[in-house]
Amino acid sequence: MQREDAAQLHQFVLHAALDIVQDLAWTTSAMFLKAIDRFNDLVVSVYVTAGHTRFMLLHDSRNEDGIKSFFQEVHELYIKILLNPLYLPGSRITSSHFDTKVRALARKYL
Amino acid sequence: MEPDVSIETSCMIRIAVLPIGDVPSTLLRDYHSMLLRHCTIPLSTISSFYTEHQKSPFAHQPWETGSLRFKFVLGGAPPSPWEDFQPHRKILGVIGICHCPSSPDLDLVIDQFNAAWRGYSSVLVQRCFAFSPGDSQLEDTKKRENLVLFPPSDRSAQELHLQTMMQDISASLLMEFEKWVLQAESAGTILKTPLDSQATLSSEEVIKAKKRRLARAQKTIGDYCLLAGSPVDANAHYSTALELARLTADYFWYAGALEGSVCALLVDRMGQKDIAIEDEVRYRYNSVIVHYRKSFIQENAQRVSPLTFELEATLKLARFLCRRELAKEVAELLTSAADGAKSLIDASDKLILFVEIARLFGTLGYQRKAAFFSRQVAQLYLQQENRFAAISAMQVLAMTTKAYRVQSRTSISKQSLSDETETGHVDSGKMHHQSVVSLFESQWSTLQMVVLREILLSAVRAGDPLAAWSAAARLLRSYYPLITPAGQNGLARALTNSAERLPSGTRCADPALPFIRLYSFPLHPSQMDIVKRNPAREDWWAGSAPSGPFIYTPFSKGESNDNSKQELIWIVGEPVQVFVELANPCGFDLSVDSIYLSVQSGNFDAFPLSVDLPPNSSQVITLSGIPTSIGPVVIRGCTVHCFGVITEHRFKDVDNLLLGAAQGLVLSDPFRCCGSPRLRSVSVPSISVIPPLPLLVSHVVGGDGAIILYEGEIRDVWINLANAGTVPIEQVHISLSGKNQDSVISIAYENLKSALPLKPGAEVTIPVTLKGWRLFLGESDTAAGKNAFGSMGRTLKDGSSPSLLIHYAGPLGDAQDIETNKSSVPPGRRLIVPLQICVLQGLSFVKARLLSMEIPAHVGESPSSLANMDSKPFGEAVGYSKIDRLVKIDPFRGSWGLRFLELELSNPTGVVFDISVSVQLEKSGNEDNLSVDCAAEYGYPKTRIDRDHFARVLIPLEHFKLPFLDGSIFSKDLQSDGSTAGRNSNFSERNTKAELNASIKNLISRIKVQWQSGRNCSGELNCKDAIQAALQSSVMDVLLPDPLTFGFRLARNGSENAAKLDLPKESDTSIQHIASKNSVIAHDMTPFEVLVRNNTKETIKMNLSVTCRDVAGANSIEGAKATVIWAGVLSGITMEVPPLEETKHGFSLYFLVPGEYTLVAAAVIDDANDVLRARAKSESSDEPIFCRGPPFHVHVNGTA
Repeated sequence: MQREDAAQLHQFVLHAALDIVQDLAWTTSAMFLKAIDRFNDLVVSVYVTAGHTRFMLLHDSRNEDGIKSFFQEVHELYIKILLNPLYLPGSRITSSHFDTKVRALARKYL
Repeated sequence: MEPDVSIETSCMIRIAVLPIGDVPSTLLRDYHSMLLRHCTIPLSTISSFYTEHQKSPFAHQPWETGSLRFKFVLGGAPPSPWEDFQPHRKILGVIGICHCPSSPDLDLVIDQFNAAWRGYSSVLVQRCFAFSPGDSQLEDTKKRENLVLFPPSDRSAQELHLQTMMQDISASLLMEFEKWVLQAESAGTILKTPLDSQATLSSEEVIKAKKRRLARAQKTIGDYCLLAGSPVDANAHYSTALELARLTADYFWYAGALEGSVCALLVDRMGQKDIAIEDEVRYRYNSVIVHYRKSFIQENAQRVSPLTFELEATLKLARFLCRRELAKEVAELLTSAADGAKSLIDASDKLILFVEIARLFGTLGYQRKAAFFSRQVAQLYLQQENRFAAISAMQVLAMTTKAYRVQSRTSISKQSLSDETETGHVDSGKMHHQSVVSLFESQWSTLQMVVLREILLSAVRAGDPLAAWSAAARLLRSYYPLITPAGQNGLARALTNSAERLPSGTRCADPALPFIRLYSFPLHPSQMDIVKRNPAREDWWAGSAPSGPFIYTPFSKGESNDNSKQELIWIVGEPVQVFVELANPCGFDLSVDSIYLSVQSGNFDAFPLSVDLPPNSSQVITLSGIPTSIGPVVIRGCTVHCFGVITEHRFKDVDNLLLGAAQGLVLSDPFRCCGSPRLRSVSVPSISVIPPLPLLVSHVVGGDGAIILYEGEIRDVWINLANAGTVPIEQVHISLSGKNQDSVISIAYENLKSALPLKPGAEVTIPVTLKGWRLFLGESDTAAGKNAFGSMGRTLKDGSSPSLLIHYAGPLGDAQDIETNKSSVPPGRRLIVPLQICVLQGLSFVKARLLSMEIPAHVGESPSSLANMDSKPFGEAVGYSKIDRLVKIDPFRGSWGLRFLELELSNPTGVVFDISVSVQLEKSGNEDNLSVDCAAEYGYPKTRIDRDHFARVLIPLEHFKLPFLDGSIFSKDLQSDGSTAGRNSNFSERNTKAELNASIKNLISRIKVQWQSGRNCSGELNCKDAIQAALQSSVMDVLLPDPLTFGFRLARNGSENAAKLDLPKESDTSIQHIASKNSVIAHDMTPFEVLVRNNTKETIKMNLSVTCRDVAGANSIEGAKATVIWAGVLSGITMEVPPLEETKHGFSLYFLVPGEYTLVAAAVIDDANDVLRARAKSESSDEPIFCRGPPFHVHVNGTA
């Protein structure tokens, strides 16, 4: 129960951080917005693509470089997904390949 | 911590508003709101109440511009331990509110009030306002301290009164402040906070405290100056206090003084907010925050902490800066404030902090952040485990629903109607996929479920069944795919439990289950079709069908495809049906107590229905109702009574959901997961209701089942038509449509016409004559292979039956109406009566053959007519033959070259057929259409064909011969022969063929093969094609007579035999018998006559010869063994026969030997013309044309 609550809290924190991202994304030309929000010891790092797709990472570590590399690689993967003509931008990504790759990247950088 | 703090809070005089006696809560709120209008009392207005007792310490009081501010605390507040530090936390005044009608005894009121305000030690001014006193209370002139009676009057007067009272209070407070400040300046008070060590002070600390005292006193005086509305004075005191506090390292008080100074600055510069001030405020407040943080003393941390002040200062700054442009800064402040929450000891402090953070994020426009912190607040409330906290939690969560997009429908409708219209517009138009994506934030389904679950939990705890129901409904409806069956059951139970606590008939804006979508909008059943009436035309229905030169136009096609433009007409008082599909994608049995169409326009009576849906199932149901009045009908969805609550399920919502599902944006398509077929987009057409029309109802007399006919069967069917409407029918027209229209032979249209006008309830029966059509070859083959039922099903399915189209209409409206407005003509209707005809294979025709039969004639005395063989064929013949003869042949004419048509029929069916053949003769005038085949007319048994048997029917074809041989038939043929091949000949050949065919057709059409089966099942066999094929080759022989006809007869007049022979009709005749009567006796000279008839229209010259042969075929006249002696000329007789006349030639024979002899006449035609040549099929023109008559038998009696 406790763990479930925590998992939900993570989603809530990410959801709330969207408000900050939406303002912040327009103030900088960089895609990696660094840590933009936090709640207690949870930090939200965000990467905004040119098409305003937001990659959000909730973490408690402070490895900014690793996060940046992680985001960049995920961005590449995401572009590959976008190139799929059957993928409707904005809908759920169901590719298991994407999932495993992202997990591998997470192990590598985070 | 305190809620709703801002920088200006420091200059607000806190006044407790207490209800005295029994005050209804609504009135209390009302009075409180009246007070709230007087939060700011300008100093200029209170001067009349103010009296300066001594020199005011507020030297720079801005009497013109300044004002006193109040903060009314309804119900009061417990004293704060920080009152000394910040005097604005003190309750400085108490206002009692008394509602006189409920507390008649004013003395008691005063006692209660005194008791109430004495609870607040810091109170400087107290008043009790008694509203709406009665007359007796007004007359009670006893002077009571602090009690103010508000005479009953209208609201504005009361407000004016209240304002005056507030000004009085303000003046009193101001004077009290002056007193306090003077006293404080002179006496010096000890000001302590909980931060200061409570233990007995060590000597060092006493000295320290003494040093600090001055600074604290200055700060407090400054605070009072601020409360008294004199920022300049306050600022002066604060400056001193800051200096002193810095020197004594009293950081806490330093920060407090700094805060006060900022407030003074803002009050002083009221209204002018420039960047310089903003920067100043920001700078000083940052300093305030820093100093509060510095004042944190480790040893006190367990007991008390200045953290709340730090957080409050942060919030104050955030509120001050709270603008869109500074969002980032504010967000950072608030984030750091949120960080402080961990260190807060008091749960209510945390609550207040989160509430404030949420509020500030909300003002900033960060709805999601606000929702996040609101949810934190709700969680804190839920931790408190009591009902009021749960209610608060529920309310707070309700505010977050918008950000999480899980709003209740009620809140949506309250929020904006414009939103709805906007989405409606989007629905109708093409949706861009991005906007579709934004419609469904399914990515956050976890959050949405959590929020809804929390709302459900809090609503259950708060005892709000409706909110609980609504939350459970939303949760179940939107997230059923993510909930386990057990969870779904739990939600269903929650719905039921909530409903039990609700009064029956409660409505909820949020629909639960089932999912309902429009399945189809049945157009009018073909029985009730509405047809637009064109009053200008006789055939008023004609314009209703799409007209125009084109069968297909791309424009009309597009329109008909667009469902949204579809129009539907309903009629007042006539029940209509709408099909909807329900789906229950959850794992429990769903019982819908009632479901009916939800019609906005109110002119529709919907009939409720109850449905049970098993788990994971969908079902199409028919919802019906009756339109009650004229006008448009708007169907938005269905009203459903399920789980004890009435909800409205709109079709549009489900359509959106399905659209999302189709795009893969929504979790699941509820219909698809129930096994229902794919999405069909059905939109509600625009429906209009029109006044009553007549309604014709039909049924086939004797049952509406299929009418089973054998091929070719002819039968009458009675159709009963009744007017079931309320309007008489005045116009009717019947037409046919569909396949096999020729199977309807006649409709008694007059019966219907004569019944007009058909009053409501009246009925009329019209007979319709049907004939079973011919099954196609393949069809009959398969039908033969299968059993009767199989073929019946097939035939019905094919839809090959014709339908009767009955157009009918009620009375036209007023003539004037029609003139003015064409559209006001009430439309007509169309009734389609499908004739469900099932044609079974009956007798089947196997083949037709042409047979020829030659029967030689007997020579007798009868005046056998050679001519006109067709016209009076059996006028005589009948007499000679036995009645039961199949073919009656004139024995004296024989039937040389007689041809029979043999029809072979088979009966694959299960019944017995009787066949009778009739030939209709061409010559009319008398009863000439006798049946050649004697069966029908002469009692000859019909040919009977048992089931699974074959039978042959013979049809003699002799009576089709033309009366004479005419050149017309051959003329063209001859022409072609004569001329060289060319276009003409081709043409003429074709012409000839056509004529020939026509004559064949004519011939065939006269042959009717009728059958009968059982008592009332009869029909005609269709075998024309086969007959034609059989006749094709030898039609000439059948049709055309020989150019010459020969006949023999005995020329014995007045003999004893002749007497008998002259009356052949009475005689009991058989051919044998006749022969014996007419027999010739051997050894007797017997006179014979040979008759030659010319069948052409021209005189024929010929060379006739007669021979006689014996049984062996040897010539018995000539030769060595001649047995017949003759007298007269027998050969080389030159004759000239005029056209269509007969010529006789007499001769005598003497038979030496009795026995059978055969007389044969033959002629060689001289100068034969082309007609004769053609008939004889001679190849060259030189060839002599030889005509031979049929043989005639002569039976010679006697002894050798």
